Amino acid sequence: MDSALSQLLILRLRGGLRERLLQLASLRGLLLSLAFGGIVWFVIVSNGSPDTRFLDSEALDWQALNGQIMTFMPLSMLGLSLLTVLMTTGPTFHFSPNEINFLFTGPFRRRDLILYKFCAYIAGVTLTSLFVTLMAPPQAGSPLFVFIATLLTLVFVQLNSAVIGMAGHAVEGSWLAKIRWPATALFGAIAAGAVLYAWATPDYGIIDLLSAFRHSWIGSIVLFPYIVFAELYVAETVSHLALWALVAVVINAVLLRAVILLDARTTDRALAENARMSGRWERIREGGSFFATQQTELRSIRRAPILGGLGPIAWRQTLNALRNSSKIFIIFAGLAACIAPISLAVGAPLTDPETLMVVYVFFAFILPRNLVCDFRGDLSRMEIYKTLPIAPWRICAGQLVVQVLLAYAIALTMIASTLFFETGVTAQFALVLAAFTLPLTFLIYAVENTVHLVFPTNLMAMGRADFEFLGRSVVEFMVKTIFVFTAIAVSGAVGLFTFKTVGNTLILPGLTSWLTLTFIGLLTLVALQYAFLRFAVAETID
Amino acid sequence: MITVTNFSKQYKGFTAVKDLSFSVEPGQILGLLGPNGAGKTTTLRTLCGIIPPSSGNLSVAGHDVVQAPIAAKANLGYIPDDPRLFDTMTVWEHLAFTAAAYKLADFEKDAEALLASFELTHKRNTVVHNLSRGMRQKVAIACAFLHNPKVILFDEPLTGLDPQGIRRIQQAIRERAQAGASIIISSHLLSLFENLCTHIMVLSLGECRRFGTMEDLLSEVGTTDSTSALEEVYFSITQASDETSDAAAV
Repeated sequence: MDSALSQLLILRLRGGLRERLLQLASLRGLLLSLAFGGIVWFVIVSNGSPDTRFLDSEALDWQALNGQIMTFMPLSMLGLSLLTVLMTTGPTFHFSPNEINFLFTGPFRRRDLILYKFCAYIAGVTLTSLFVTLMAPPQAGSPLFVFIATLLTLVFVQLNSAVIGMAGHAVEGSWLAKIRWPATALFGAIAAGAVLYAWATPDYGIIDLLSAFRHSWIGSIVLFPYIVFAELYVAETVSHLALWALVAVVINAVLLRAVILLDARTTDRALAENARMSGRWERIREGGSFFATQQTELRSIRRAPILGGLGPIAWRQTLNALRNSSKIFIIFAGLAACIAPISLAVGAPLTDPETLMVVYVFFAFILPRNLVCDFRGDLSRMEIYKTLPIAPWRICAGQLVVQVLLAYAIALTMIASTLFFETGVTAQFALVLAAFTLPLTFLIYAVENTVHLVFPTNLMAMGRADFEFLGRSVVEFMVKTIFVFTAIAVSGAVGLFTFKTVGNTLILPGLTSWLTLTFIGLLTLVALQYAFLRFAVAETID
Repeated sequence: MITVTNFSKQYKGFTAVKDLSFSVEPGQILGLLGPNGAGKTTTLRTLCGIIPPSSGNLSVAGHDVVQAPIAAKANLGYIPDDPRLFDTMTVWEHLAFTAAAYKLADFEKDAEALLASFELTHKRNTVVHNLSRGMRQKVAIACAFLHNPKVILFDEPLTGLDPQGIRRIQQAIRERAQAGASIIISSHLLSLFENLCTHIMVLSLGECRRFGTMEDLLSEVGTTDSTSALEEVYFSITQASDETSDAAAV
């Protein structure tokens, strides 16, 4: 690699490190980093202690787990590769606009630029692998083994996706590109046939079928490159690890060479892809979605609803959801529908406290981080909202409507799935759950938005080691959880008090409980309005 | 129509604007002039209710921006220097959104006319993130004009515009003023002020250094061979204020 690029790499790494240290210099950055470090330390200590371990190692058969890794990891990696083929525009080596302006016009060979990006990626995944190693339970084997396996696998995933994506670009317009969809249809038909066969055959499920394919001679040949990386995770001796690590390094080196060769044939397309990816990242930084519409021309209704000022804001967020977040919504609705059958399959019914906690994390942490159709995605446009002749509470309510309804629809999907699959859940219970979920969802997003307006920040981490961002996410989630659980407790207490006072009927206690929860939600809307009013739009002093 | 009385704004101990008073009557165009950090954008943002004043009174069309913000904003159009539009909405949807926000029942005819005047008719259904910066600036201006505001505030209105666009915007500003709107323009382009403004206010370090009609200011210096009269006025005022602040610091 060119020495100037090596120097640039070192300078950028040093800059990243300096930025992290500067985070620690501020009180807020220090506290948030400590919060994140504390959580990591807690997980590590918990993993080491048999009393508090998250994964009950006594219950887990590690030999059986190794067998599962050897069977399903190669299949999953093959699935990822096929998905990349289908999507065509997989992540190749992404150059930012700054890098294109500075480096593409500099005296560098393309090969050197690819190597520069590859080294930058290696630096990033080294950090990720270290983190994974720290979090791995002691039963997973030697930390060094876990680190090497994770590092080589992550490098393979990146290079494999890049090669597939670039090969797809290289054959565009040729006969090979034309067979993509017929091949996909054929593959889909085979998959559908396999599912039908598994469904029609008693005591023989789709998992058995996949397992049989994996262990067949043809499966072993097709999956060989992926089996290598599964072997790394189950290696028990140094010689075993060294052998498979050597094979993995050779595979990665071949893929890197393929990337360099293919890059020469796909430069124009790579530039277009880079511009598209940069646009996406910019959009995500502003709170948008990765899957935003790529269409240039769109038609819609001629007039926006007014509804006293609430209408246009809700309409804007509806358009945002339709064009930016429809795919995210479908994915999360699908996941919600699968929660009940999956929990049953793994023998952890939804009534278990641990499963309920997972469901809560899904709804209160993962979903809000990905589905963003409220103030959190509009921080760069607060100027517009501030100049509108609309009462602040209407602006706040308009911002929440679409987000709450979408999250509620996902929650209803999960409730319907639970009603269908869980034998202990009655229609009456599902209705009560649906009724309480609405004010609860409203409360979650009102708190989320209030916290975000009081302490505004980016919605995404600035690099893998943005400990301030990670700490902030943890602290925010904890604050939100304390608030939501307190609201639930108060609502439950009011219901219990009513029950003890009235007795015999559950309708009145349920109603008072629901009203209390709704009232707390509305109080939070007042807090959100206050946060909106005091929100300081970038205080330019020009 | 715009009245500012003893307005001051402090940011964490730093005074961005100090004791500013002025008024802009209907039909007048006031040019806010000053170096970076003079307090021009702060004044505009406070007038349109984005940031609250630390002290003083600001009113738009007779409505105090702190006491009656909704009524004040209903009479105001603001065009920021960086038009941050909603990236997934089309040009027409921005106009429809604005119409709903300002409760305009019959806006379509006016919206079509604005699109035509800013040469945006063929871009009506285009998603705004696919537009050039100049085009987005035109969309922001069309949205600000749609409700026929009595007060219009421009922050660097010509950034990113092509020559045709610049001429069109200047013409539109003149027409709005002739129709009775009170207009404030903040810019670093002295030629824009010479072409459009009836009044000039020179700000420096948050304080008003000179406020008067364009004729008054120009008559103080007269024309010179190499530079424009306004440029001469600007540098004489700002350099004098720099020297005063340096002397105070010593």
